[in-house]
Amino acid sequence: GQGLGSGSGSGQGQGQGQGLGSARPQPLEPSLLRFLVCPLSKRPLRYEAATNELINEELGIAYPIIDGIPNMIPEAARTTRKKPPAEDSKQP
Amino acid sequence: LCGSVRGLAAGPEAHFGFQSVTEAERREKIYQVFESVAKKYDVMNDSMTLGIHRVWKDILVHKMNPSPGTLLLDVAGGTGDIAFRFINYVRSIRERQLQRRLKHHQNLSWQEIFESYQADKSKSLGDSQVVVCDINKEMLKVGKQKAEHLGYSEGLSWVLGDAEELPFDDDKFDVYTIAFGIRNVTRIDLALQEAYRVLKPGGRFLCLEFSHVSNPLLSRLYDLYSFQVIPVLGEVIAGDWKSYQYLVESIRRFPPQEELKAMIEDAGFLKVDYQNLNSGIVAIHSGFKL
Repeated sequence: GQGLGSGSGSGQGQGQGQGLGSARPQPLEPSLLRFLVCPLSKRPLRYEAATNELINEELGIAYPIIDGIPNMIPEAARTTRKKPPAEDSKQP
Repeated sequence: LCGSVRGLAAGPEAHFGFQSVTEAERREKIYQVFESVAKKYDVMNDSMTLGIHRVWKDILVHKMNPSPGTLLLDVAGGTGDIAFRFINYVRSIRERQLQRRLKHHQNLSWQEIFESYQADKSKSLGDSQVVVCDINKEMLKVGKQKAEHLGYSEGLSWVLGDAEELPFDDDKFDVYTIAFGIRNVTRIDLALQEAYRVLKPGGRFLCLEFSHVSNPLLSRLYDLYSFQVIPVLGEVIAGDWKSYQYLVESIRRFPPQEELKAMIEDAGFLKVDYQNLNSGIVAIHSGFKL
């Protein structure tokens, strides 16, 4: 569904970029996806429009995007699995 | 006290200004300093340096001399000073390019001229891009607001990230800058390694930071100013003596020019050099990933 204009980090339905004068729920700057990786594993991330997060499937963690700014601090990430992922980030 | 922990903070021991703390405590304290000063950051910079910080930053970007199409990563770039200067710089280079091109095409038909305007309008920055990365939410917030207020949007993006653990892929950026930020990093060696990692081969590392004044008379005046005037300014303008006390102490704790140069070389950079500004009050260190 569509996020409402509260500017508190809820994403829009589409992962669209600029235009449309999107002042509230700010989507991620699309060009960023070219450079962004998980700071722990340095592996690619998947943008999840529904929750407005960047997901690292391997480690099962999600980084939030708030006001259009991705929060890539590991402590801020939440786990996406029911069980916590394997301890170390040194996965093959 | 000064000799023991110098920049690397190898063990769990670290310094916060002149205090000895654990690494975790240091990170927390520094975060709080910038959280506290964020809104007054620019005003304080102008007051403390009598506006000269603007010149230092101009010099940094001129030294960078970015051409349109450059990809810049500005780390600890919080309130956007370097990013905005970068954008202004490439924009003016681009405008000059376009004007020069127009001058050489005096025999174009109106249709051709119209088409060339269309093509160039969408690339006023010529594909240049700057990513501002900072660990502090408040500083980024101020930066983003400034950008909106000043009309910067194209080619600019913001990321909350840690200089010691960058969320960027290898070999991506043409230039990496860190202006008045590396002093606040707890593991400088890690930050330098990360800088090396994310730069493209041929990429340039540029660091603008307070440094060491060797002239004894100037050094004494500088100390006097730093310890007597700056914290007072901090209290009067920002209502925060302690943060500015930290600032002054952190400058004293930071490695001098040659030592920082060695650390940058340790990270793998080549052709490492530095340029003193104002007799070493500030220095720009430069290195290349070759």
